[in-house]
Amino acid sequence: MAARGHVQDPNDRRLRPIYDYLDNGNNKMAIQQADKLLKKHKDLHCAKVLKAIGLQRTGKQDEAFTLAQEVATLEPTDDNSLQALTILYREMHRPELVAKLYEAAVKKVPLSEEYHSHLFMAYARVGEYKKMQQAGMALYKIVPKNPYYFWSVMSLVMQAISAQDEKLAQTMFLPLAERMVEKMVKEEKIEAEAEVQLYFMILERLGKCVEALDVIRGPLGEKLTSELQSRENKCMMLYQRLQRWPECNALAHKLLLKNPDDWQFYPSYFDSLFHLIDQSWSPPEEGEHCPEGAVHHTVAEVVRFVEERIKGEDGKESRSLRGPYLARLELIHRLRERGCPEESMLGDPLELMVQFFGKFGDKPCCITDLKIYLHLLSPDQHVQFVNRLSEAVPLGERGEEGFAFPDDTKALQRHLCVCQLSRALGLHHALDVDGKLRLIVELKAHYRHGLKFGKNALKTELQFSDMYCLMAAHVYIDLWKETGDENMVWQGLGVLQEGLSHSASNAQFKLLLLLLYCHLGAFEPVVDLYSSLDAKHVQHDTIGFLLTRYAESLGQFAAASQSCNFSLRFFHSNQKDTSEYIIQAYKYGAFEKIPEFIALRNRLNQSLHFAQVRTERMLLDLFLEADIVLSLEESVKAMSLSAEEDDIPWDNMRDNRDLTVFTSWDPKDRELTAEHRRQSLEEESVWLRIRSLTLRLLASLAGSGHAPSQQNSEIANENGVGDKSSILSGLLSQLNQTLQTANQIAEKRIQYPFLGPPSTRLAPALSSGSCQCQAAALQLSVHLQELETVGLDESTELQTQICNAFKSLVVQLQEILNKCKGDLLDMKEGKLKTWPSLLENLIFFVETVCIVLWMASHCAKILRPLKTSLQKKKKKKKKDANTAQPVVVCGFQELTGSLQDLLTQALEYIKGQETGITALKLASLSLDEYPQDEASFMKAAMDKVQSSYLRSLQEAGDLLKKRAETIKNLKI
Amino acid sequence: MKLSSNLDPLTETYGIPFYLQYLAHWPEYFIVAEAPGGELMGYIMGKAEGSVAREEWHGHVTALSVAPEFRRLGLAAKLMEMLEEISERKGGFFVDLFVRVSNQVAVNMYKRLGYSVYRTVIEYYSASNGEPDEDAYDMRKALSRDTEKKSIIPLPHPVRPEDIE
Repeated sequence: MAARGHVQDPNDRRLRPIYDYLDNGNNKMAIQQADKLLKKHKDLHCAKVLKAIGLQRTGKQDEAFTLAQEVATLEPTDDNSLQALTILYREMHRPELVAKLYEAAVKKVPLSEEYHSHLFMAYARVGEYKKMQQAGMALYKIVPKNPYYFWSVMSLVMQAISAQDEKLAQTMFLPLAERMVEKMVKEEKIEAEAEVQLYFMILERLGKCVEALDVIRGPLGEKLTSELQSRENKCMMLYQRLQRWPECNALAHKLLLKNPDDWQFYPSYFDSLFHLIDQSWSPPEEGEHCPEGAVHHTVAEVVRFVEERIKGEDGKESRSLRGPYLARLELIHRLRERGCPEESMLGDPLELMVQFFGKFGDKPCCITDLKIYLHLLSPDQHVQFVNRLSEAVPLGERGEEGFAFPDDTKALQRHLCVCQLSRALGLHHALDVDGKLRLIVELKAHYRHGLKFGKNALKTELQFSDMYCLMAAHVYIDLWKETGDENMVWQGLGVLQEGLSHSASNAQFKLLLLLLYCHLGAFEPVVDLYSSLDAKHVQHDTIGFLLTRYAESLGQFAAASQSCNFSLRFFHSNQKDTSEYIIQAYKYGAFEKIPEFIALRNRLNQSLHFAQVRTERMLLDLFLEADIVLSLEESVKAMSLSAEEDDIPWDNMRDNRDLTVFTSWDPKDRELTAEHRRQSLEEESVWLRIRSLTLRLLASLAGSGHAPSQQNSEIANENGVGDKSSILSGLLSQLNQTLQTANQIAEKRIQYPFLGPPSTRLAPALSSGSCQCQAAALQLSVHLQELETVGLDESTELQTQICNAFKSLVVQLQEILNKCKGDLLDMKEGKLKTWPSLLENLIFFVETVCIVLWMASHCAKILRPLKTSLQKKKKKKKKDANTAQPVVVCGFQELTGSLQDLLTQALEYIKGQETGITALKLASLSLDEYPQDEASFMKAAMDKVQSSYLRSLQEAGDLLKKRAETIKNLKI
Repeated sequence: MKLSSNLDPLTETYGIPFYLQYLAHWPEYFIVAEAPGGELMGYIMGKAEGSVAREEWHGHVTALSVAPEFRRLGLAAKLMEMLEEISERKGGFFVDLFVRVSNQVAVNMYKRLGYSVYRTVIEYYSASNGEPDEDAYDMRKALSRDTEKKSIIPLPHPVRPEDIE
């Protein structure tokens, strides 16, 4: 607690020990000390608040809140209390109360700059823009400092940005903001750069580009000095918006003259040329072409300009910049797009690319630079191109194996670049199986040879030849996908493990290993691989999906929970953090950043991954604990899960996954497309909807017991039971609709690139039958509700219906279980083969059995009282006291018996698999055909997979055993 | 080196607040370089701080990173040049930065760019477990305002982290 009152008064001295205890995390002592102090000084309000902070931090939120409100209602005006309450409210996530606090304080001390300023910030924290505008003006009236005035202006801009109605923004908020600034301009009161920035922002948002340009080019623009090229960049943007192509062209080439490597101006330069041509623009007969100077309005001029920049680079003694060379290729590309014959003035793309390679082929970025211009070559030039490049790679003499190797790292980089370009041209993919195998041998030879250049590399450094190793793995994957031969993937894993052993920080090795293990159904090795990537903060959002997609589906529940937690912790802290920096941006006048910060916050809050981990985390908790540790009802309550609430931003979902995190040199036709991204997001959303509806249906199941939970009792009394059942049926019909959509998506069998987004669990969930079975179980709750109202007396038809549903559930569960029978790992003819889909199906079975058991438990709760009341009635009648049980009771007993059988079956299967897998003698695999090193890396990978399968089986088995225990509680 | 998925072991990924703090206070000191294909090539972030009266007003390099595939193009030098230019405009006396004493590659690069070791800061870096890990060099380059280059005269003795501002 750094910030405290400035004035030294005796209270400060008295309070100090409490502050110290709190700062040191000794909350109990802080509370005691506060109590002691309060005995002597009843009216020392701040002590109460500090005590409340202690209580809050020891988990006594309710007490803390009550105590805080005692002080708050007194409307304190002492610094200590105000600041302590501010801290407390923030920790309680109740920032709106801080605003209330200072509203009261400024009423009592209306001339306090400090309190008004706190009030402004409190509003900023909750995004109350209108009140901020007023608070800013109030401040300015007390102390006429420019920043306060412009806080108020900025708050108007924020009202415009957040307005639902764009018209309101354009006709009210922004014009008002503009007038406020104009007033200051007229009075010549503009002081700071930030104020001009804000003026520019307003004009720009109003679309007043001409006015904005005048500001930037006028005296006010001279204040824009902090940012490099700020005025130029802003002018360029305005010229483009105003379609002032002569100015745009002149400014672009002026800036390029200054820095021919500043890529951003080449596109503007070329664009403006084509616009000028389209408009048949010609320069005025006399005088300047335009206010920015000379205009290049013909292709010839632009070609000459680019050629001159290249000559400049060619003639330089220092390092050549690649910008001009790339600009030439870009210009050819654009001329070709327009069908301009002048393209030939620049030369033959093949020659130019060979020349580029000659100059920059030893830089690792050469592949990235050239890749985007490969389409300038015709397909029949591809081989010729690669041959020409190969000629320019200095290699040594051919060795025994027939390969020639580079003598230094520059030559290595050139050779590697040729390999990368060959792959990007599709030449690798065109090879047959033998050709690919030969290619792998060559890549591996180059990889191992290149290791000699990095013998002294630090642990954090990569080996120069790592990319060969990665590429060899890519070709193995091609072969695996093409032939289905799993040996290819074992070899791929082997070569990557080998690579990692020489280059411990290579993230690409780790990522690809991780992906391959997941595809083989083994999540255990992934945990270490991912943690060694040291992914943190925002990366949980961008690559966290790699973990969460597979952990649960492969039955590693503990790791799955942990993976969700990593991400959740990040998302939760983001919400708090951002508002502090919005406030700082106000303080420092970084007005342009404020909308950006808010956009970032929204982007994270609306993240697909965030919604997924929220949902899956709760589902996991239920699968692992509900009815085992706590009852389903208690679990649902503990999560404050409610059937009514849907907190997922379905319409604004943001896909923040980094789907290009894997390095790939695949040709364009195999690359991830925008359509893939769209389909993947759609698929993810549908799967998320199924999971989220399942969760909410479980919540409704837990909430629809006899005693409505106290919290909801008011609502229940008000709206009656009818409302609850309408929520239930609403959710069920949504689930059924979503399942239909899901089926349509699954039928499309969309294939993403291997290194692109993973497919969701949706298709396998449908084909295993688990989705359908879960939905059927949840559907039962409607009938049970009905039965609860009618009772057992006169409901034979309904009871039969329910019994049939019971039977059908058992049949469906048995079918899912049948789909996982078979060996998860087998060895035939000395080869190891995995069957990950069996494991996936087993996990679907586990999840589905949990849901069916909860339904059964719910059912038991409904049947027990019904049965008792029926027996009472019958006792009265006495006569037929011994007649048969009601149909539904028999059916239920049958159900629990069958569930018991199913669980026994599943557990036996798991036990059998565990025995079988443990008994697999991987040592007896025939790996003799491989060199010993390779064999040992492959063997290590196989061991990991074996161990991982055992762990998955164990986790699934443990959970099923616990679930089997719960069947005992189902007696009625 | 996309910040969103920076997996380079030598490039630190900071928490969002860290970046926001710099963007809110010194937005001009945050510069990113993009390749023609849209890849992020590198970035630099820094700040201006210190007392003008004591001639300690200066630009500080907080982070500088170039993606592995865009190294050896002179990009780091370009980014440093831009940061120095901004600091010149703000009337700074010098630019400084901290670097691990073991990071010879970086130390040598900064020397080539005109920086020299002003002082050693003992145990400036700490490991992830909070234990002191390594010393830092505080390297400086004088700007034109410091005509006599007083700001870069090396200190005779190393200092502790709590002694630096």
